Amino acid sequence: MNFEAVIGIEIHVEMKTNSKSFSGGPVKFGQEPNTLVAPLDMAFPGTMPILNKQVVINAIRVSNALNMTIDHELWFDRKNYFYSDLPKGFQITQDKRPIGSNGSLTVKLSDGRLKTIEIERLHIEEDTCKQLHLDDITLVDYNRAGTPLIEIVSRPNIRSGEEAMKYVETIRQIVVFAGVSDGKMEEGSMRCDVNVSVRPFGSDKFGTKVEVKNLNSVANVRTAIDYEVERQTKLILSGGAVEQETRRFDEKTQTTIMMRKKTDAVDYKYFTEPNILPIRLSDEFIQNAIDTCPELASSKQERYTSNGLSDEEADQMLQNLLMADYLDECIKVNPKHTKLFWNWITGEATAFLNKKFQSFDKFKVTPDNLEKLINMVENGTLSMKMARQVFEVMCEENKDAEQIASDLGLKQDSNEDEIKKIVEATVDEFPQAVVDFKAGKDRAVGFIVGQIMKKTKGKVNPQIASKLVLEALKSR
Amino acid sequence: MVKYDLDLLKKCANNLMFDMSNDQYNVLLKEFDVLTKQMEVLGEIDGVNDVEPMTFPYPVYTTYLREDVAETPLSKKEALRNAKDVEDGQIVLPKVVG
Amino acid sequence: MYLGKTVEELHELLVSKKVTPLELTKEAIEALKKEETNAIETICEKEALEFAATLVEPEVDNLFWGIPYVAKDNFSTKDILTTASSEILKDYVPVYDATVITKLKEAKAVLIAKSTLDELAMGGTGTTGHKGTTYNPYDPTHTYKIGGSSCGSASLTAQGIVPFALGSDTGDSVRKPASYAGLVGFKPTWGRISRYGLFPFAPSLDHVAYFTRSVKDSAALLEVLAGEDLAHDATCSVKPVEKYTEGLTGDLKGKKIARIKEIDESVKDKVILEGLDKVQKALEEAGATVEEVNFDQKLLAAVYPAYMIISCAEATSNNANLDGIKFGPRVGEASSYQDVMMNARTNGFSELIRRRFVIGSYSLFKANQEELFLRAQKVRRLIVNKTNEILSQYDAILTPCGGIVRNPFASNSDDVSDRLDIHTIIVENHLGIGNFGGFPSISVPMGLDNGFPFACNIMTKVFTEKETLNIAYAIEKKLGLKNLSTMEVK
Ligand SMILES: [Mg+2]
Ligand SMILES: [Zn+2]
Repeated sequence: MNFEAVIGIEIHVEMKTNSKSFSGGPVKFGQEPNTLVAPLDMAFPGTMPILNKQVVINAIRVSNALNMTIDHELWFDRKNYFYSDLPKGFQITQDKRPIGSNGSLTVKLSDGRLKTIEIERLHIEEDTCKQLHLDDITLVDYNRAGTPLIEIVSRPNIRSGEEAMKYVETIRQIVVFAGVSDGKMEEGSMRCDVNVSVRPFGSDKFGTKVEVKNLNSVANVRTAIDYEVERQTKLILSGGAVEQETRRFDEKTQTTIMMRKKTDAVDYKYFTEPNILPIRLSDEFIQNAIDTCPELASSKQERYTSNGLSDEEADQMLQNLLMADYLDECIKVNPKHTKLFWNWITGEATAFLNKKFQSFDKFKVTPDNLEKLINMVENGTLSMKMARQVFEVMCEENKDAEQIASDLGLKQDSNEDEIKKIVEATVDEFPQAVVDFKAGKDRAVGFIVGQIMKKTKGKVNPQIASKLVLEALKSR
Repeated sequence: MVKYDLDLLKKCANNLMFDMSNDQYNVLLKEFDVLTKQMEVLGEIDGVNDVEPMTFPYPVYTTYLREDVAETPLSKKEALRNAKDVEDGQIVLPKVVG
Repeated sequence: MYLGKTVEELHELLVSKKVTPLELTKEAIEALKKEETNAIETICEKEALEFAATLVEPEVDNLFWGIPYVAKDNFSTKDILTTASSEILKDYVPVYDATVITKLKEAKAVLIAKSTLDELAMGGTGTTGHKGTTYNPYDPTHTYKIGGSSCGSASLTAQGIVPFALGSDTGDSVRKPASYAGLVGFKPTWGRISRYGLFPFAPSLDHVAYFTRSVKDSAALLEVLAGEDLAHDATCSVKPVEKYTEGLTGDLKGKKIARIKEIDESVKDKVILEGLDKVQKALEEAGATVEEVNFDQKLLAAVYPAYMIISCAEATSNNANLDGIKFGPRVGEASSYQDVMMNARTNGFSELIRRRFVIGSYSLFKANQEELFLRAQKVRRLIVNKTNEILSQYDAILTPCGGIVRNPFASNSDDVSDRLDIHTIIVENHLGIGNFGGFPSISVPMGLDNGFPFACNIMTKVFTEKETLNIAYAIEKKLGLKNLSTMEVK
């Protein structure tokens, strides 16, 4: 019997706004515990929620990127349950009317196939407190309480670990590029729960689903799902039955481990939040949120390839928002040099920053100056080797490229008359080369050029030198 | 509707994180009988199923959204002022498991 | 002796410097210390005296300058104990002021005490606060209720210790005790006054409301308390605040006022019906026409069960923050966070509160919502629709506040029971319609029977407070039942 996997994914994205979903409490990471708390965040009696505009704008932007229908009226609900990390005893969320609904996202798989994943809903909600579990006690920090979240829920039409991985990766890219979140899965600013079940091919019934939590990297999403699909398939083939349970991914063993059996579903007693009036969003507001959205990766990708980058080169640039931002600044200076900028950025610049543990927002070289350097190489003033030397200095202090080159005494000889003299002299020195050339051995050209470079310590423009060597050999 | 009995009421109370005495549960059981009967009668009121549930007292909406500006937070001292068990500037609970 | 005076009268004395805010405050605090109805949670003696001492130069145009007042103990007051008369909050000291407290501070009124309420405002008897029963100052025998849940505020205003007091009204919690205490009790439109800092009972029904001893004081107070509060309560209306005092003409020419047949028919005490007839006559003398209309007995009887379901459901959720973790007592041994919560909540809430929470929670179960919570919300809409239908034909609705002048403690109206007949259910709960639809609703004294005051109620369309107040003003003027207090009546 052949099985097919049925996978649905819920993603919580923590926003990097200035203030919380429903209070003016500051949103910051890594601060001293309980120093970012507004009265509402600790659920002091009598406090009331006031919705943050940026949270709505962010939700609209992501909904739009996911091709969702955007609700023009916002309604909120209470999800009621007791837990040690839930100050109010309920979470404010959008149960009945999510701001975004019926979306889809198309991802490209490694075999080139396109897969469209349907998305059921996107809603606005708020985060809980952070708990620090010690040996015998738990310490509660309310700084995170109320931090804005969006939850994105896919339909169960994901069929493999790879599809799931691409889906999560693409959403991560969207929220990062839209400026909604830092998207750091390993730090919990993006959290994925996946529901996995298997069923015989062709069946339209769902198998018993297992929820897997604690997936703190995109790679783990794939590994966990692949493992879980295999585990469930084997279980069924050996005559067993999948049980409804919650499992977690174990980093060490790269497997999933049972956390708890699912008993009756919890009744969250949802009802409309009576302290938030329905909020009407005008067409203009929604359109403006969309129009002012920072450029998303998909659009950058198109732009880069139309400027001459290959798909792979563009993709590589999109792995890092700050790097892409830097390239965009460079492209503004000269779009015709996109590929050359790309070379410098992914090559020498990345190497330099990696060594310094810095990111592109800290990079000292201005796009203007980099363009100058590129021009100096293009017009033959500098060899690539010289340019690299200049670049090294630029990275430390953004001094003018021409100035650095002259300080270092780096200049390539491009005077044809001068070079011609050296060419003639060298050809004279190696008469065998003339013989070889006449016999149709083209490598004679390269040989002579090499000799010239050696003699001049590389200061001669190699393009001009080859041109002149060729002429000289022909004329003999 | 879920059928109720003493066990259910007890479970319901425990889910709300409190308990009651048996006598109290019995009083509650009687109240349930009265209220559910009254609510059944309400289901027979003319037109009750032709209207939408009413959350707000009158038709009302807003367009107001708060600007995303952080306000000065409570001082740690204020935030923790009413907490009975504090260590290292955090509220202490018995170890939370699961 | 400056007790027993209205805001208006005290203001005259203050601006003519016949008395200072400090003297007034001292006198009121002395009276608080002697009061015998168990109406106080906390006397803010130090804060009040300090504040009053800073009030030196009278503000002629500010009616509330230097006026002492009390607030129900479910308004958040920074640095002042606020218990909601519940054990679970017995040592809770808020870190912020409710908007109405801030506004009164800015108007330089002097908060002298926090008053007792039915625990968490969830009751109507004045008997369920954690310090026990609050008595009606009109009844030294302690036989009859003052009503609740704003019992303490009602009692202290009725005793003449303060000229006004803040309360909250979710079902009738200001307007009913106002009747038993001979006071003007006003609940403006839902959204007219910010609820920020009012401990929620049922937000869709909760109102800031208050007691005064004259309609004019009531109108003046609304000018201070009303208005948008976008920073804290976005349900609060941005409609401009009107000059309510300027609408008090007493002239009702061309006004049409309805009496509800089924409510009047449910009244037990003949005195009350006679009172209503007197009020009708007064209204007619002021130029209004008064007619009897039908509501629908079934709908009126539905107010109580629908109210129970909606208010208990919302209350269960609102009070889920009271878990003993961030504030409130840590009681007994706890080996898990669940223990911490169970201990705090089992010991912290009285039995009545716990029963109500179970009712509310059960009504919200997914499987029950359709037949309980949502059904109650649908009934609420039918009742509000019917009321609006009447208010589209009439400017106001005139009703009694209850069916009997004196309400003995022996009848425990807080227990859900089927012992009550349909008339009692209707006449004792119809004020909840004002909360269902958020209508402005005011109780005004309409008579005294053997030394016990009783009131009628006027309700008008949403955001027509000027109308509500002017009709009440006409009644007060014609009947002459103004500034009642136990100091006068005894
Ligand atoms: Mg979820
Ligand atoms: Zn969620």
